[in-house]
Amino acid sequence: MSPVTTKDASARLSQRLASFKLGDAVIKRLSSQIMIEGLNIGRINPCIYGICIDYFTDKLPSVERLSPKQGITKWEVFPYGIIDWDRFHVRVAFEVNELEGRGVVRGFEH
Amino acid sequence: MVSSTEPTTIGEAHGPSGFLPERIVHVHPTRLCNLACLHCYSTSDPGQRGGLDPDDLTGALGVLRAEGYTVVSLSGGEPLVYKPLATIVDRAHELGFRVTMISNGLLVERSLPLLSRLDGIAISFDGLAERHDRMRGREGAFAAASAALERLASLGAPVGAAISLTRSGIAELPDLADHLAGLGARSLQIRPVARAGRARSLADSTFHEAADRARLYLVALALDHELPDVRVHCDLAPAEGLWEQRDAYVGLLGDGGETPSDERPLADLVNPLVVTDTGVLKPIAYDFDPRFDIAAVPTTSSDGLRRYKGDGPVPFRDLVGAALAGMRGRSDLVDWFDHCTRLSEARQPTAIALL
Repeated sequence: MSPVTTKDASARLSQRLASFKLGDAVIKRLSSQIMIEGLNIGRINPCIYGICIDYFTDKLPSVERLSPKQGITKWEVFPYGIIDWDRFHVRVAFEVNELEGRGVVRGFEH
Repeated sequence: MVSSTEPTTIGEAHGPSGFLPERIVHVHPTRLCNLACLHCYSTSDPGQRGGLDPDDLTGALGVLRAEGYTVVSLSGGEPLVYKPLATIVDRAHELGFRVTMISNGLLVERSLPLLSRLDGIAISFDGLAERHDRMRGREGAFAAASAALERLASLGAPVGAAISLTRSGIAELPDLADHLAGLGARSLQIRPVARAGRARSLADSTFHEAADRARLYLVALALDHELPDVRVHCDLAPAEGLWEQRDAYVGLLGDGGETPSDERPLADLVNPLVVTDTGVLKPIAYDFDPRFDIAAVPTTSSDGLRRYKGDGPVPFRDLVGAALAGMRGRSDLVDWFDHCTRLSEARQPTAIALL
């Protein structure tokens, strides 16, 4: 059996999201989870936790904005630093049981 | 009578206006179309007659260029059946506009010389072949649109796809996106079908509920990751995010500092602006309620627009202000321009101070 590539896994993510087999309640919960005040969504990736999302912001990210109810498993902040002092890349992993483990199996990597 | 055809610009606008990266005039020169799509928001079809007088339109574009607009987006009807189209495109370029077009793709092959002069072209799609052809009322429409996109891409044209989806059409989006990317589409503009025009006669199940908008938004995000060479944009946005970015409406809702509203560029107050086939200037959308109409093309003048900016924007300003205030604290996805358009039909807006 050929290994699962990142592209394959990503394709399955869009297909799974588009499929109405994934119920409306899950979709609404997921979309609500990923909206974080002050963070603009950049990209969505499948990952071992369910989905990982890259956000961008021009304000220093604050952990207070992340609610336990959002099902956040892990988050990392990457300052642009000398490239752009006022820009931050925030990568957040969300636990989504319906998607967990079906994507790339290397956590944040993609 | 048009008072000016020269771009006597009163100042290029800076910063966003109305959540758009450009200041856009959507021109519907005709409702004549070689198709009669089930979901057409302008109720265009082959039986329509009339259309904008090209002299009146180019005159109005001169005034609007001076009012800060930078892009002319041609729609319809099918713009490629509008006979004076080349004149409009050339004059708009002379005025300094970038010119884009949305087309159903059926007449692309015979229109290549004109299309090669455009700054952007979007071919419209409604799903994969069976769904697209059913919505368009013509067998082979999907194949023709696909061939048109591929042909334009092969010529190096800046071509993308404008995708309107019914609720059930969401399931086809990943395969459709793969198909369009394979043809050479550089961008995918995705939106839910609006409850407007001929689409009002479609079943309620056609339209997107909150969960469907969330699903469409998430699929678009995933596609943006999967298709790194294609710019994927969804017209839906998180409501709270719109509230956070309300500064995009500072031109309309702010006090303007020392600049009276009648001296501000119209593009800072109303974006996008729509020019209908009957020559009416409207805010935001073709079917925005007539109570908010701005001017008529044949009489568009700097003086007339100055009066509108001084007095006329109040109802529009109140509607947008109320709509923005309604975004605060919401956790769903919103098609902002359609939301405002539906509000224009439904209510008398209430003035709310926001900025």
